[in-house]
Amino acid sequence: MSTTSCSCANKSDGRESQENIFLPREAKIVRVEKTTEAERIFTLQLADKSQMKFEPGQILEVGLMGYGEIPLGLASSPTRTNTFDIVVRSVGRVSQALNRLQPGELLQVRGPWGKGFPLENLRGHDLLIIAGGIGLCPTRSLIQYTLDRRQEFKRFILFYGARDPQQQLFLTDLADWRKSKDVEYQETVDKGDPTWKGNVGVITTLFNKTKIDPGTRVVICGPPIMFKFVIRELDKLGVAHPNIYVDLERRMKCGVGKCGHCQMNDKYVCTDGPVFAFSEIEKLEEAI
Amino acid sequence: MSFHFIKDQDFADFLTDLIRAKIVVGPVAKTSRQQEKFVFARLTRVQDLRLDYDVTILPPKKEFFPAKQDLLRFDGPRVKACLEPVEKVLFGVHFYDVKALDMTDALFKEKNEDRNYTAHREAATIVVSNIRKVFPRAFWASIGAEVKPRGHDAWLTQIVGGCVFETGTLKGEALLKFGRFSEASADQVAAARRANEDMGKQCLEQLKGTSASNAKKVRAAFGKEELWTKFAEDCFSCGSCNTVCPTCYCFDVQDWWNIDQKSGARTRTWDACLTEDFAKISLGAGAAENFREERAERFRHRFMRKAAYLNEKLGGPACVGCGRCSAACTADIADPTTVINSIPEA
Amino acid sequence: MAKPKVAFFDFTCCEGCQIEFTNYGDPVFLELLNHVDVVEFREAMSEKTTEPIDVAFIEGSFSREADRPRLEEIRKRAKIVIAYGQCASTAGINALKNHTADYKKFVYGKDSEMPHLDSQKVLGIDKVIKVDYYAYGCPVNKYEVLQIVSHLLHGKEPVIPNYPVCVECKRQETICRYDVGDYCLGQTARAGCGAPCPADGIPCEACRGFVDKPNHDALVKVLSKRAGMPKGWAEDKSRMFTANQRGDAK
Repeated sequence: MSTTSCSCANKSDGRESQENIFLPREAKIVRVEKTTEAERIFTLQLADKSQMKFEPGQILEVGLMGYGEIPLGLASSPTRTNTFDIVVRSVGRVSQALNRLQPGELLQVRGPWGKGFPLENLRGHDLLIIAGGIGLCPTRSLIQYTLDRRQEFKRFILFYGARDPQQQLFLTDLADWRKSKDVEYQETVDKGDPTWKGNVGVITTLFNKTKIDPGTRVVICGPPIMFKFVIRELDKLGVAHPNIYVDLERRMKCGVGKCGHCQMNDKYVCTDGPVFAFSEIEKLEEAI
Repeated sequence: MSFHFIKDQDFADFLTDLIRAKIVVGPVAKTSRQQEKFVFARLTRVQDLRLDYDVTILPPKKEFFPAKQDLLRFDGPRVKACLEPVEKVLFGVHFYDVKALDMTDALFKEKNEDRNYTAHREAATIVVSNIRKVFPRAFWASIGAEVKPRGHDAWLTQIVGGCVFETGTLKGEALLKFGRFSEASADQVAAARRANEDMGKQCLEQLKGTSASNAKKVRAAFGKEELWTKFAEDCFSCGSCNTVCPTCYCFDVQDWWNIDQKSGARTRTWDACLTEDFAKISLGAGAAENFREERAERFRHRFMRKAAYLNEKLGGPACVGCGRCSAACTADIADPTTVINSIPEA
Repeated sequence: MAKPKVAFFDFTCCEGCQIEFTNYGDPVFLELLNHVDVVEFREAMSEKTTEPIDVAFIEGSFSREADRPRLEEIRKRAKIVIAYGQCASTAGINALKNHTADYKKFVYGKDSEMPHLDSQKVLGIDKVIKVDYYAYGCPVNKYEVLQIVSHLLHGKEPVIPNYPVCVECKRQETICRYDVGDYCLGQTARAGCGAPCPADGIPCEACRGFVDKPNHDALVKVLSKRAGMPKGWAEDKSRMFTANQRGDAK
């Protein structure tokens, strides 16, 4: 077989990328917003202007040649056309390099990969999304989706917890959600500051603020420590474990279920997840 | 499928012609201080081929999934894949390594097929050789009997006066033209079958139990922390057991630039789940989360993967009993027979 | 864009790591000079600089209090400081001195009382100044240094292995020293060198120091059980390059 060139890897059907799972597509940076000291929101568009097809909760390998790739949850809804968002937090070699990029510059994307949120099981029910810290990024995709298709869901409740007010992400969205009648938005910070007028405390303190029906479908995404405490509250409320979905974080490297780094028990987080029904993994050691 | 026979005196000519026509990779000797070990290497002359080898340091997997492999090369903004598979004949592979190759074939193929492996694999012709000398640490006779060797193209078995050459695919058949083969008689075929079967009796290290019972008890022992801590007490986290394993396929990917600082590559190298940083992620500001921080957790993970996690997918354990890990571990704590046999029944 | 200014400095060392850099006679290494501006490097040029520098390669250990101001002054001028070689990284072989009292007499005989031979406990330079990156090894691996420089040119943190030398031996099918009745420290030694010594039939002496979490107890066991070393010897064996990294570091 001859060498394939990536200069044409931007074909909208992604055919060449399918032939070689490591060959990325180019995407252009449309907008960059510095959301916290360490985080940037990138609005991207595939370089050939085709639509990125994905489901809320899926991951994308985002990279720069010479620096590498990192797995990121898509942070916008596929219902918002043409562009898509990712959030990059400066923690390592690739993220630091990505966060130096400016609008108009190109980066590479591979994917989407993995299983997203099971929309078919969420539709027609009350939906509670619980997002802690950077966990708001992948869930934002589902939040936008729910807001765009609001009639498909019953109640829509959103809990968001951040370490402190400076760590809050998507400030414009938060302002909208606070005012919106389409979402019952509750927020908290672990540690307040003089400007903060809202709730102070860990995310589970938000359960006192509203009544949750046991039939509610729940989506959780946040730091590993958060899951246990949130699920304890949900157990008290009587939410069945198959109706709880968790979005897990591991050292996903290849994104395609090969390299082994994200393996947790007998699952590959990048292909079997990153979204799992809690009932599917609660008995698995190493999961939560 | 057909059975052929080649006389001892015709074997060298067969191989000479084959080496002349194709890239042929087979077991050859490597020595240090008079100690003889074996490696798969390209053959340039017949006399280097050592079909009397017991085991090779690395399994033949390296021919399709090398220790270091460029996935992409770039030059400024231009990015190229680098799939350049080379046709070759792997000559003299033992059946346990064929079983392992069949497993890595399945794992690289499933879900998102990785052409960087499968394209190389498809370009190869695999000739099995019967085992003529048993590696003292091998236990292939007592593990995964339900998993049959598949995916090879021909099987060569030494009997009195020559070798029976059983072809299983068109690629295997295509090798016949390089030698003076005759049709094998029923007696010769029976002798070859016996030669392969009898060898198992010399495979002395024994894994007790069945694949299913071992999977069950290993799986059930997950929470026995004191057990794994004891097993892993002398573990160096050196990853030797992973690196020599024919069914391990984890890899790391790193990018780098050439000296011109403009072109470079995205390269994968074998990784090892026993090494400390395998499941570690950076959280920024010097903070990190290691999902398997303790060496006992990493040691346990390997046994889960070999004896339990992948069984459903592969039809049996992801271990073929080659004994390479047992021998490569300087602390001698990696031997699957010792570890699994000492785990109490669930 | 101006080329980054690179300078080399040395403290207590043999300067072999710097020589390693001048050994880049290969045109491929000379090409590196197209990308960096070497402003001070006494192995190869007479110029010196007091200007700010982008990358300071510091070779050698900290063995005299009198060296502290010079280290601090370099740190102040340099955007990035690289501990260059094992002496600078962990005090390497120099740290053996911390375990002996009679070295001056042993080495210098009747001249041993000369005042400039006075030194103190030998340490890696990170005990005095902040070090950004480490180029391990005695000497450094020039190909690794090339990659470190390359990464820094692109604003990328260098990739330094934290796995042992065994990984690199196995990848290239080197016959294990233990299989031939020899000893080896590769199980606890930091890789990144490409394991050339065992490949040449020589045991690894851990010249790049230990990995972050070496299992030293297991090493002592294996050295005595498989290499036949008497217990005390097995316990001391790894000290040559790791005196400051072992449990009994002074």
